[in-house]
Amino acid sequence: MSDTSTPAAAVNVRRYRLVRNVVAVWLTVMIVAAFLRDIPRLNILEHTARNLYFHVPMWFTMMTAVFVSAYHSFQFLRTGNPLRDIRALQAARVGFAFGLMGLITGIVWARFTWYAGAGIWWNFDPRQTMAAVQLLIYGAYFVLRTAVDEPRRRGRIAAVYNLFAAATVPFLLYIVPRQMHSLHPGAEGNPAFSETDLAPAMRPIFYAAVIGFIGLFWVLYTQRVRLAVLKKRLQGDPEF
Amino acid sequence: MNWLYGAWAVFEKDLRLELRNRYAVNMLLMFVLSSLFLVAFGIGETAVSTRVQGALLWVVILFSAAVGLGRSFISEEERGTVLLLQLNTRPSMVYAGKLLFNFLLILGVNIVALGAFMLLLRVDVRAPGLLLSTLALGALGLSGATTLLAAIIARAANKGPLLPVLLFPLLVPLLLSVVSATQAALPMGNGWNEAGDELLTLFGFAGVVITVSVLLFDYVWND
Repeated sequence: MSDTSTPAAAVNVRRYRLVRNVVAVWLTVMIVAAFLRDIPRLNILEHTARNLYFHVPMWFTMMTAVFVSAYHSFQFLRTGNPLRDIRALQAARVGFAFGLMGLITGIVWARFTWYAGAGIWWNFDPRQTMAAVQLLIYGAYFVLRTAVDEPRRRGRIAAVYNLFAAATVPFLLYIVPRQMHSLHPGAEGNPAFSETDLAPAMRPIFYAAVIGFIGLFWVLYTQRVRLAVLKKRLQGDPEF
Repeated sequence: MNWLYGAWAVFEKDLRLELRNRYAVNMLLMFVLSSLFLVAFGIGETAVSTRVQGALLWVVILFSAAVGLGRSFISEEERGTVLLLQLNTRPSMVYAGKLLFNFLLILGVNIVALGAFMLLLRVDVRAPGLLLSTLALGALGLSGATTLLAAIIARAANKGPLLPVLLFPLLVPLLLSVVSATQAALPMGNGWNEAGDELLTLFGFAGVVITVSVLLFDYVWND
């Protein structure tokens, strides 16, 4: 109990503080620039094109989180180190939040641009479907964790489910696009710019946003891992 | 012990136990029939599109699998036979035996469900061979995914309705493919021309799900 005041060995606190400060400044500058810098005006999109700086990086961040979570689940099965289980869970939680934000920004964006007259909120765009499925999987993952009491067994079962789900999701990449029309770049009749011809004026901020939000993911995730480890220590868990 | 012999022994044990009281078979059949009747009463005389027909049939089948197959590992825990199986067989044998049993169970239920569905909703079938292949490949993917998840929930403390929650998000790719393939086999569809890709996807899905299950099953089974 005496070492609760010292930083958790699981997390390098000096590095965490450094990255946190850098990310705070970076994101502030990036968000200000995202709203104030001039962008090319396109019909229908107009200023909503600025959502590109927020909506797309959310997806990149969620995919990063999914990989981090699956990697730590795999390592937990391999080594049985309880810290790996904590990392997998916290990456999934933060990834869930980013996925939800990505879904909401996408739904609102589509509703008030190309569905402005139609009043459609949900459409069966492939990426939207995949995101919704990934959120459902993480929802099930969190429910599964609450259904097992013994920590080791919980970690192992949750890791198995996480990896099992990670193996099935890529199928959506191949199946859904053949059945559903996409709103996203590259598809026919899509007024958005595609990833390959993203207007040069928008590129720097877009890349900065991707790096910034992935950095934000790292900060939130590391913070949550730290918190979880400290909680375990306070509870007197012998493994921490 | 020879691997095939071990897997077959697990399957034979499950089959014999099932034939003694026929709980799973009867429960699944009643579930499928009563839910299809509900669907039929709900729709009434209205004509529904083939897409909706396919979707209704498969949603009923997925729910029946989620309700019926959850028992396969819980019953081992309840009878206290887990330890005996762990001592006498390798995990992959248990998985293979259970998978075979679940596959045959779901396939049988699918065929009964299809018959009742054609009768109640007045569905004509244009390509029976295609529809049967879809049912078989769908049953393979479905039982592949459900068997591992059934082993997972048998380890959980609150077993209740956990299986559908875990199962349905994983089955989205399967559902999309089987519904399209079923639609292709019904009167307005294009038969085999349209469904080749779907069947290939179903085959791939079943392959991936079963392979990953075999790899992960050890971690669930050897607790």
